[in-house]
Amino acid sequence: MGLNSYDEKEIYISDQEIISLVTAWKSQVGRNPNDDEIARIINNLVEEEILYREALKLGLDREDRIIKRRLAQKISFLKQESIPDSPSNEDLIEYFNKNNNKYFIDSKYTFSHYFFSNENNSFERSSKAYIDLLNNTSINSDPFFLGKNFVDVSEREIKSEFGEDFSSNFIDVELNKWIGPLESPFGHHIIYVRNYSQGYLPNITSVLKQVEVDFLQTQRDEAIKNYLNQIRSEYKIYINPDLQI
Amino acid sequence: MKYIRNILLSLVGLYILSLVFISIDINDSRPFVSLFKKLQTDSALEVVDFSVEKKDSLKPRPKPNKDRNPYYGDLHVHTKYSFDAYVFGVTASPDDAYRYAKGEGVRHPLGYEMKLREPLDFYAVTDHGFYMGMIQAYADTSTDISQNDFAEPFHNLNNLDNLTVESAAVRTSIFSSVLGATIIQPYPDWHPKILKAYFTRNTQLALRSFDYDIHKSAWSDVARSANEHNDPGHFTTFIGYEFTTSTDIEGANLHRNVIFNSSKASIRPWTRIDSINPEDLWTWQDKLREKGVDTISIPHNSNGSNGQMFEMETFKANAIDINYSKKRMRNEPIVEITQVKGTSDTHPLLSPDDDWADFEIMDTRVGSIPPTFSKPSGSYVREAYLNGLTLEFTRQGNPYKFGLIGSTDTHVVAASLDESNYWSKVGLLDGDPQNRGSVPLEPENVERLTEYMRAFNQPTSTLNFEQGEYANTGFTQWGASGLAVAWAEENTRESIFNAFKRKETFATTGTRIALRFFGGFNLSSIDLNSESLISEAYEKGVTMGSDLLSDGVNSPEFIVWAKKDKNSAPLQRIQIVKGWIDMTSGRPMEKVFDVVCSDGLEPDPETFRCPDNGARVNINDCSISTDVGSSELKTLWKDPEFIRADKSFYYARVLENPSCRWSTWDAIKAGYKPREDLHETIQERAWSSPIWYVPEESDVEVIPLGGTIQMRNID
Repeated sequence: MGLNSYDEKEIYISDQEIISLVTAWKSQVGRNPNDDEIARIINNLVEEEILYREALKLGLDREDRIIKRRLAQKISFLKQESIPDSPSNEDLIEYFNKNNNKYFIDSKYTFSHYFFSNENNSFERSSKAYIDLLNNTSINSDPFFLGKNFVDVSEREIKSEFGEDFSSNFIDVELNKWIGPLESPFGHHIIYVRNYSQGYLPNITSVLKQVEVDFLQTQRDEAIKNYLNQIRSEYKIYINPDLQI
Repeated sequence: MKYIRNILLSLVGLYILSLVFISIDINDSRPFVSLFKKLQTDSALEVVDFSVEKKDSLKPRPKPNKDRNPYYGDLHVHTKYSFDAYVFGVTASPDDAYRYAKGEGVRHPLGYEMKLREPLDFYAVTDHGFYMGMIQAYADTSTDISQNDFAEPFHNLNNLDNLTVESAAVRTSIFSSVLGATIIQPYPDWHPKILKAYFTRNTQLALRSFDYDIHKSAWSDVARSANEHNDPGHFTTFIGYEFTTSTDIEGANLHRNVIFNSSKASIRPWTRIDSINPEDLWTWQDKLREKGVDTISIPHNSNGSNGQMFEMETFKANAIDINYSKKRMRNEPIVEITQVKGTSDTHPLLSPDDDWADFEIMDTRVGSIPPTFSKPSGSYVREAYLNGLTLEFTRQGNPYKFGLIGSTDTHVVAASLDESNYWSKVGLLDGDPQNRGSVPLEPENVERLTEYMRAFNQPTSTLNFEQGEYANTGFTQWGASGLAVAWAEENTRESIFNAFKRKETFATTGTRIALRFFGGFNLSSIDLNSESLISEAYEKGVTMGSDLLSDGVNSPEFIVWAKKDKNSAPLQRIQIVKGWIDMTSGRPMEKVFDVVCSDGLEPDPETFRCPDNGARVNINDCSISTDVGSSELKTLWKDPEFIRADKSFYYARVLENPSCRWSTWDAIKAGYKPREDLHETIQERAWSSPIWYVPEESDVEVIPLGGTIQMRNID
């Protein structure tokens, strides 16, 4: 594939190129990519090609995929460098307000639990234990591998230790009350949530440094996106509409 | 005029004279001869703080747990800065590696996405120190160094079709040209760079093919990235690199990963260009430690070392002495027992009575062309433990008293841990099932494979089975493994590094089994069902990685407790592997005891084997029995064959119910049956670091059999 053989604003994506990427995809994942995934694969190719052509205009020509990627990366960096280093306060506040989910401090739970291993009739034992607990009778539970008390753990951490189903029990959970039996991959649990700290959005001043770093990163990503959008319209893309995968 | 000429002449004379003296210095180390040695500065001992100005994390830092938590990670990860990763088509950076470990997706060189099912707790990028960053510079035609002849093959690496599996042949030959050091071209002896190399003790500077600035900038980017992604309390990174050394003659693998304890590191990695002798690496580590920078080096792929990793003599074939043993243990507290390139627990030839010894065996030397058999003796962990005891008897110290971890050695920045979603580790070479040899080759690929295997000097490029012609690439012996797990108070560099030093670690084949292991003389006084089980066990006993000193009266007792990975198969059994020196015969001995079985079954008191729990795998769809196996196993165990005078070690091995191996998953996804000469299923597992039982000093000395002990230099 040489530049001289066609107009520099026309892009022909060959069947072979698409098929070889789709084949690699398929052999790894074990099924054909769906339409969205094919579109994404092709879109990546097209964008890479555009950046490559633009890079070629700068005279850095070598004809291969690694160098194309490297050139695409290089021109991305060039375009990113035009971003000012110190954004204004207004910019930061606007960015913070738009992306406040990024800075949200997760809800935290502090809880204890009685554990009943599914190695030993966990459902029956825990059901009985629950009644015993309400009657203040002493109960016989099992030690849990990661301990009895969990202090200030987030929902994500609960999910990773106990699985998704178990963690869903913590949504709107009642405090200072025995709740259960609840099932996990390891058995049944009776939980007692002592404390719950509502997740909150911190004041921007306390996360300013982080907002600035993220803002600049986003600006850089935006810059390359805008640049692509702007020159993309100058290109005509040709893809075989009859290609069967 | 004459005056100036004389000055010039005497300068030239001085220059030549100093070259003469230096060549004497290099070839003769007697102190009165070495004239210039005192003027040398060691560039590899310059310490740099690579810490970065960081955004402060607002996430509250969890409180440390005095009973310790298990943290899962990978200490063996390559990026584009490794000479071979770049040859394998990898362009992903250390930043990409850490993003992957935290749960984000990254792209394989073949275009598909790689993503973890659950994030990891710690990660260390360990690029090859040797030639770090250089190959990239060769391929980038805008650098000065790429204009040299030796860099030219790397330009050719990049022709149009080359980001495909078709380029495998040329990639392999490039790989071996780097390993075979054909691109190392020294300057002539008179060149000023030789002087500079001498006075800064930096051999690399004497090489034409080396650019120190590029090398240092790659290394500082590795260190910067580690420091930037380190998030105390939540996610830990380590600055690290691989010391990729091998023996001169047999090409036996002696690779080690060097891990730093803080944000500080040396200005450049100490590499095989400095020395191929691991003892010199330890000397360098000792000197760095004096400067306040602690490191550990972690041997890996002992399986491919042709018996050299755990030898009974030193690198230079001298007898091991107490100083060697102490120095090795000071610097190498842990060993990587499992990774993509096979598992090094033991070999069926070394442990014929262990029914689980034939597990993910890779029987060739690392990087050998043509693929060459690796001698099992000296290459496996369990035998090394036994040999360590033997050396201790002969007062040579025990250089093999190490703990265990697993890691992957991925070269595509992303750890491949999941049998059902496997990408092996060398990018374009093994990133798809045909090249890995798990599904038959398309006819048009057969010729390419032949070409590829010619580059590998392998006479047989394909193998014929019932379903067709398969690649004979050797990748069938690789697998989706493993993880390093540290028992630490909190997820910080300090806490996890200390766990490595204490050897309070265990290894898994990629599964997130959790494993506790304690030994003591009064553990039966602990109620196994008590909430205080762990704190009492810490109080009354020792944990994995420790010595248990005989109390002269009682027999040791062990508590072992394992929990399954909630996303993997249930547990089948816990075993304790015991090794000891029999005092009556001097023989090293080993035995595997099943100590607790799933589903309430009991081990047979004669054979020490659990009955079959009935777990099965459906090879047509990889589904597994759901009604058998355990979510946790726990027991107190007493060694029924304990003899007080015998030096012994004990380590725990946990087995899951069988599940499909990656090669079976590959075949099923492509609509084939599994290839008939490969194991269809695998029992994922975990190994604890051992507990060593140390008997009281005995008056009678038995010199044990086994190994080749040289009696020289023994104090």
